[in-house]
Amino acid sequence: MEETSPSANLNGQIGPSGGGVNSGIKQSEEQGQRLHYSIPGILHFIQHEWARFEMERSQWEVDRAELQARIAFLQGERKGQEKLKDDLVRRIKMLEYALKQERAKFHKLKYGTDLVQGDMRPPVFEEGGPEVPADAEQPFSSVSNFTWKQGRQMLRQYLQEIGYTDTIIDVRSNRVRTLLGLNNNEETGGVNGNETGTNKRASSEGQGGGRRTPAKKPPQNQSGSTGPSSFTEAMLMDTEAAVIANFEFFATQAAVAAAAGDDVGDEMDDEDDLQDDSDEIHDQTIRKNPNSLMALGLGTLGDPDDVDAEAEEVLNELNLLTQSEGAGTAPQGEQPNWSGGVYPGGDEAAKREGETIDSTLGLGELAQLTVNNEAEASYDLPTTTKESLRKTWTAKYTLRSHFDGVRALAFHPVEPVLITASEDHTLKLWNLQKTVPAKKSTSLDVEPLYTFRGHSGPVLCLTMNASGDQTYSAGTDGIINCWNLPPVNIDPYDSFESSVLKSRLVGHTDAVWDLATPTDLGYLQQILSCSADGTLKVWSPGAKAELLHTYSSEQDGIPTSCDYAGTDKMVAAFTSGHSILFDLETGKPVTRLESSQDIIGNEIGRHIYKTVSHPLLPVTVTAHEDRHIRFFDNNTGKMIHSMVAHLDAVTSLSVDPHGLYLLSGSHDCSIRLWNLDSKTCVQEITAHRKKFDESILDCLYRAPMKTNPL
Amino acid sequence: MKMADGSTILRRNRPGTKAKMFNGWPDEPFEEMDSTLAVQQYIQQQIRKEPANIEIILTPPDGQDEGVWKYEHLRQFCMELNGLAVRLQGECHPETCTQMTATEQWIFLCAAHKTPKECPAIDYTRHTLDGAACLLNSNKYFPSRVSIKDSSVTKLGSVCRRVYRIFSHAYFHHRNIFDEFENETYLCRRFTQFITKYNLMSRDNLIVPIVEGDTPGSGESEA
Repeated sequence: MEETSPSANLNGQIGPSGGGVNSGIKQSEEQGQRLHYSIPGILHFIQHEWARFEMERSQWEVDRAELQARIAFLQGERKGQEKLKDDLVRRIKMLEYALKQERAKFHKLKYGTDLVQGDMRPPVFEEGGPEVPADAEQPFSSVSNFTWKQGRQMLRQYLQEIGYTDTIIDVRSNRVRTLLGLNNNEETGGVNGNETGTNKRASSEGQGGGRRTPAKKPPQNQSGSTGPSSFTEAMLMDTEAAVIANFEFFATQAAVAAAAGDDVGDEMDDEDDLQDDSDEIHDQTIRKNPNSLMALGLGTLGDPDDVDAEAEEVLNELNLLTQSEGAGTAPQGEQPNWSGGVYPGGDEAAKREGETIDSTLGLGELAQLTVNNEAEASYDLPTTTKESLRKTWTAKYTLRSHFDGVRALAFHPVEPVLITASEDHTLKLWNLQKTVPAKKSTSLDVEPLYTFRGHSGPVLCLTMNASGDQTYSAGTDGIINCWNLPPVNIDPYDSFESSVLKSRLVGHTDAVWDLATPTDLGYLQQILSCSADGTLKVWSPGAKAELLHTYSSEQDGIPTSCDYAGTDKMVAAFTSGHSILFDLETGKPVTRLESSQDIIGNEIGRHIYKTVSHPLLPVTVTAHEDRHIRFFDNNTGKMIHSMVAHLDAVTSLSVDPHGLYLLSGSHDCSIRLWNLDSKTCVQEITAHRKKFDESILDCLYRAPMKTNPL
Repeated sequence: MKMADGSTILRRNRPGTKAKMFNGWPDEPFEEMDSTLAVQQYIQQQIRKEPANIEIILTPPDGQDEGVWKYEHLRQFCMELNGLAVRLQGECHPETCTQMTATEQWIFLCAAHKTPKECPAIDYTRHTLDGAACLLNSNKYFPSRVSIKDSSVTKLGSVCRRVYRIFSHAYFHHRNIFDEFENETYLCRRFTQFITKYNLMSRDNLIVPIVEGDTPGSGESEA
């Protein structure tokens, strides 16, 4: 009782119920005047009042708790907003830093001088920032330069500049990269020809850069002479014209591209990486950049290794890193050897990449084929000081359905379609986008869509013309079958369509071992074949006289492999171990590519399994039984380079369309990828098994996909 | 036959090899085949040596797992049946052979579709061979060529039954093609004896009459 009254008074004084208390007291006073106070009555009254006050107090406490909860909620919200803001500011800083770096780099490459532009330190982020208590006054002191609004404004500006969408960002960054490749190429000249301190805008210098190009080539040649000289020189000569022609295009792009910032798009994705190693921005972006050089290595004997157990072939989707790009962003001074040899080729490739960017963009699905992102520690090219990261190959698809070894492969130039030819007398068509998830394996299974039946013996070779509508196959029966490609979405169990087998070219009297079609679209209706009957023939399927020419070389024996070298020449390898360059018109041998001087062993040792022409240079590459790959100059007939490439006979070769990489397969069960400039092995995969003493019979480089021109 | 340096024999079909010399290397004893494809190599080697000697072709090496042996033989059959299919393509048109029949007794429905349907004979042939290729190469049922689960071995029977209908159709409707093919490959005889030996089909279904005396079981297959 003694306790309750003070508390009740207290409550009465501050609470709204104060009036009630007073009135109650008044009432009791009035009652007291009229009635006699009885002890029980007073007690009852006091108890009653106490109960009332208690109830009010508890209600009030509930209210207080509610309000406290609301305060806590609002504080939490504020904290969240602050974190968000912090994050955005950080992004802005990073973007700005990257942009600055790009500008500086561009400037340096272009004029050979450092651009003076304010603060070039990488942004510093204090991790403590977000942990500052919510009610502290300055949680963002670490990013003092930007207020929230400014930052937002900047970000919006940047996005507008670069055009909002990731696709556009990709395009531009690619263009910039090609541009940088070019500029890099010219840096030597840039330093010599330009006084330091020039600080003009990039756009105004575009023309000047274009004009300077020819003058800069000689110094590069010199510096490049430490590399594989004659080959690279030839390459250089060949590509120089194209480079010059294209330079102006890139130069005019410069202003836009430089402003857009090379790596912006990538960095948005990889912000965290950047934060950790902002020094390696370029490495990062190179690695993440969906590289358009995508290779498919394809091993073929129908019988891969034990892990894959009983497959007929494994198709490897290989996602490569182009070193040319990595090097392209590296300062030239650090890598003299590259300056001469690599860049001309790189430019060519880059140029082409630039041209196909729009089409590669349309190819979202292909991009999903990226194998894995495990970047290995380093790939050491002796001349690069920067680490280039590489991805390892893993098998992407396993194509099982052939009953025996797979002898040959052909990719469709446009569709994600592959055709395989097997010793089981059939060819099969595969749509690589129609996959079946495989059990307990990382690679996907694909089921064949169509089986081409038309050969009465093992099918040995296969080729598709440059437009992809005709496929030619031939085998031990000596007949060349011309196939129309069935629709790529055909039902595997559709009814028989006799028109798929378009025609047959009969003329060879023994097994046909190799077929080739020109890469030039103007020569779609031509095909070259070489047979164990000792002849090579050029056909024009569909024409009145289908057989156009027959070639042979008495002294060299049987042709083993053939390829077009341009549209007017062909190169054929013979059992003698030599290759001969024929003029297609006259049928006369033009050049003999002899490799005898360094071949050890007997006649078998020099057997050539495959000969291919470089797509851009007058160079022929041959694969030999004695484990060597040899390179020849088509003009002089001299051997440029020879290397032991595998542990066993090299059976197949494929040069990528840009002429930068060479893919080789061997009976040692491995497929290797070679950098054509440094002649070093960049990648290797072993995923096949042997049957008798044969293993990989064919491999193919898959060019970047292009979508259909609409 | 090409000899590499020294005395080792490299069994390879190098580009430029004449058709006659294709796979034309000296025999390799089964014990020396260290590849996981030894059984296939062995079977193909025996067939190449003497296609008519069915007894030898069907005799497994000592200690050979029977499931794998049957499986590899069936692969080989389906593969060689492509040859018959190629020949049939020239003559067996969907317009003439609208149904897969042998004798008048049965019309065979094509099992390659979700609901079995009456494919023309040539489609039945192609679909059956394609389906067999998929099944026999299936990673699910036949993940290894060295050991095969018992549950998968039972699948072989149904493949045999369907594939056999190709022989019977060719025999009853395209006799000239059948004879020409059979004289070259002895495939139907080998297949019949294979079926009989391993009891993969009921004998009532073996309706192609096979020349007497070739195989002990073939006489009874006439029905």
